Amino acid sequence: MEPMEILSPEVARLLVAKEARRHKLAGLPFPDKVRAVVRLQWMVAPLLRARGRRVRVWKIEEPAARRQA
Amino acid sequence: MEQTLQVLNDLERAGAISRYAIGGAMGAMFYVEPVLTFDLDVFVVLPQTRGGLLTLEPLYEALRARGYREEDECVNIEGVPVQFLPAYNALLEEALAEARETQYEATPTRVLRPEHLLAIALQTGRDKDRERVRLLREQARLDHNYLTGVLARHKLDDKWNQWKS
Repeated sequence: MEPMEILSPEVARLLVAKEARRHKLAGLPFPDKVRAVVRLQWMVAPLLRARGRRVRVWKIEEPAARRQA
Repeated sequence: MEQTLQVLNDLERAGAISRYAIGGAMGAMFYVEPVLTFDLDVFVVLPQTRGGLLTLEPLYEALRARGYREEDECVNIEGVPVQFLPAYNALLEEALAEARETQYEATPTRVLRPEHLLAIALQTGRDKDRERVRLLREQARLDHNYLTGVLARHKLDDKWNQWKS
């Protein structure tokens, strides 16, 4: 990635916003993070299975995750 | 997930494990952004066996008696594949002894301190551990005095300096 000082102000602003979002995600309550992980598992599992990797999506009561699946 | 932790608490009360704490990616996630993982790593202190042998078999027996079965290297507990890892060295023993008491919804549980998670990742040293160290450095609120002590006690300061640069 290019150093920040030679990026356009718009791209620099987007990168700063992205970093801020990651810090916001880090501050979520743990149960919300678990829900996010299960959503990631649902999204990624078909790709990994297509590559022959055996993965198990957590079967826990996470209604938000099911809606996203 | 909450039911999984309730089972772990029950195993501890019943003496199948002496103490447990969440580690690995899920442990780190108490302090950093969510990252993809498919297992719940649980570090355990096992009760002393007569021969002094470190074995997970009595724990697996207790889980089988509760209807939970092994799946490869994990045990599926209430929909979550749990990997039990016995504390096999001084760093892990210390990490478990000093793990933080916390709550998951209404259920009490324990999670390793971020400084220990960082030290364990340093000690393990795989590519994904580098990424964990980076995330913990960037996002977790580390107690730097405490971390310095952990790294010195377990002779990880040189590696820490290498990975930091």
